[in-house]
Amino acid sequence: MHWIAVQPLSPEGVDLPNDFLALGWWALQFSPKVARVNVNVNVGVGVGEAAAGEVLVMEVSASERLFGGRTRLLACLFQSQGPAIPVRYARGSTSLIAISRLALPPNPSASRVAPDDLPLETLAAALPHLGTLARVGCTRWGELRALPRGGVVRRFGLDLLDALDRAYGLKPELYPWLVLPEVFEAKLELGHQIDAAPALMFGAQRLLKNLQLWLQLRHNGVLALELGWTMDARRNTATQGALTVRTAEPTQDIVHLQRLLGEHLAHTQLPAPVLYLHLRTLQTEKLAGKSASLLIEDLQKGDSLHQMLERVSARLGTDSVLQLQQRADHRPEHMQSWRPVFDAFRLIAENQMKTGTKGIKGSKNGNSGKLNDLNAFSATSQDHQLYPTWLLIKPMALLVQNNIPFYLGPLTLLAGPQRIEAGWWGPAADDGDCALRDYYIARNLQTGLVWIYRERLGGVAKSNASDTPWYLHGLFG
Amino acid sequence: MSRLPSNLLQDIDDVWTASELATSQGKVIPTGSPELNAQLPGGGWPVGALVEILQDQSGQNDWRLLLPALAKTTGVLTLVGAPHAPFASALAGQGLNPHRLLCINTGMPSNRMWATEQALRCAQVTAVLAWLPLARAEQLRRLQMSAAEHSKLLFVMRPVNAQNESSPAVLRLITSNPAQGDALLVTIFKRRGPPLAQTLVLPARPARLGALLALGDLSAPCSMEDQIADASIQTLIDQLPTLQHAGIGPDRSSRFSVL
Repeated sequence: MHWIAVQPLSPEGVDLPNDFLALGWWALQFSPKVARVNVNVNVGVGVGEAAAGEVLVMEVSASERLFGGRTRLLACLFQSQGPAIPVRYARGSTSLIAISRLALPPNPSASRVAPDDLPLETLAAALPHLGTLARVGCTRWGELRALPRGGVVRRFGLDLLDALDRAYGLKPELYPWLVLPEVFEAKLELGHQIDAAPALMFGAQRLLKNLQLWLQLRHNGVLALELGWTMDARRNTATQGALTVRTAEPTQDIVHLQRLLGEHLAHTQLPAPVLYLHLRTLQTEKLAGKSASLLIEDLQKGDSLHQMLERVSARLGTDSVLQLQQRADHRPEHMQSWRPVFDAFRLIAENQMKTGTKGIKGSKNGNSGKLNDLNAFSATSQDHQLYPTWLLIKPMALLVQNNIPFYLGPLTLLAGPQRIEAGWWGPAADDGDCALRDYYIARNLQTGLVWIYRERLGGVAKSNASDTPWYLHGLFG
Repeated sequence: MSRLPSNLLQDIDDVWTASELATSQGKVIPTGSPELNAQLPGGGWPVGALVEILQDQSGQNDWRLLLPALAKTTGVLTLVGAPHAPFASALAGQGLNPHRLLCINTGMPSNRMWATEQALRCAQVTAVLAWLPLARAEQLRRLQMSAAEHSKLLFVMRPVNAQNESSPAVLRLITSNPAQGDALLVTIFKRRGPPLAQTLVLPARPARLGALLALGDLSAPCSMEDQIADASIQTLIDQLPTLQHAGIGPDRSSRFSVL
């Protein structure tokens, strides 16, 4: 058994409850046996602090082998992966010894004080009886232990003897062990009022660090999280605000979440100064293991696609990042639509939340995995080579002079017509705008090849070369 | 000054004599046109380097020049600030899977620059086509560095008047169209090697469209029902000289008319 007692050194301005929570989670990385103990001894008296109260005790002997020995484990604990806040610690073969050594004035010899020589003031159970014990000449643990057990029980009660047995490792030490909550929820009181939303990022980063610990310990990845804030109630505005960030794949990558939050905060307006922040996970999922590759070619450098898409969508707006959705239609403008990529992701996420289905592939949204599914492509008919490579989203009406359409100059018709009659079946509102068109390939010096069409209004009967308008619909780029 | 032994120079990739083309140190993607390949260092578009394409109008010759090479790659193709929507059917007809395309549409030059850089950093993206008419040299340098770091194909489309600005691009070319005919003229004015005096003429149209146009400016496009009346073409060619612009009204009796 090897116990470590850890206590945060609390300089001014440290948010103790929150930090203590983080400290507990930090300790859980190294051992599952971590407990918060409320000791009434004046721990840290030697430093001149009245921070009597809670210390964190952890039992690390079971983890020593995993970390490569006690020395290495200690190096990990307090050097390479040290806690976020300054702490002091002491070690011992039982938790009470460790706590007691922590209470001694900090000097190099404190860790070598033998249990028998530890002062009785540092044993919590002995505190009510200190006066009596001192009068019978007991000031050290060893002196108390030398007294007859029966007499000690009769005079001081069972508690003291029990504590002494635990301190010497004769009885097991049981604590309410720290467990991680099912849902991550953390609050942060901001040191001062914050007026601008981007400035909340600083506080959010501290919460995100805790979130990362929580995710790592639970082996979870976050899919959706909510950053909320409480605003000054003295303004007659809303007192609560929140921001939801979703990501397509469960992630532990705090940098990515941080960027996403940053982009969203950059668009946020605060009606009143913010006093508190809180962060909550809305949806998490167990992280599946990754299979690594031995081949160098498979090692891709850079962000993953969904991270890039989410980041770009967050900054430029979801309507800016578009992905193809093809449809079976003869009208060129209905053959394809460019839809926001992020829509697909959100649909998947919401679908998962509702139905509990897992994985993108399992979702009903047929559009979802298109970008990932790059190889499922069969070359279409070669006739499609006759289509222009660029399509104008809205056909542009052309100027016509002497029956010649103009687009940056007079156009010479080269080929056509290609007749399209479609869309007559649906009502106009239901994207059923009837298309009666003759498409031509035309050219002039300024633009190269263009794809233009003429509407046959009402068919041949009304086809009159002089007043039918021409439209530009595509460019052969 | 004594000449360096030429075999020494040949061993070093970074050094080339001014009279000959550099061999590319990195990977290249063949352009799909033997004439163009012959004039590019390494024989294709350089991967991990900025290629600048200058043209009169944005969107005019991009796909003609780049599609054959892009169709051979795999992975996501990102278009940043594309002038129009790519027509998926046409691209698919020329062998490019349109589902690989990702369009990032944004108007602001700074956003375009940022989005281009983000796309370059993404592992699954293979090539980035960016229309950056207002890019400055230092911004282009940044993109060049990103492309080199992440080994991406990067094509930046800019207007012709950017020709005299300095640019960190390893390859700069101007595309234009001739007054007559439908060829693609490519002027390579910066490359690792001697400047190219003559203009390359590339007949870069997909086979079917090229054949249609080569028929002497007459029409034989397929109908939407994929029917082509090949038999009528010869009769149309015979009628060719007599037909005028004024007669372009579609004729219902035949599916084709000649202009």
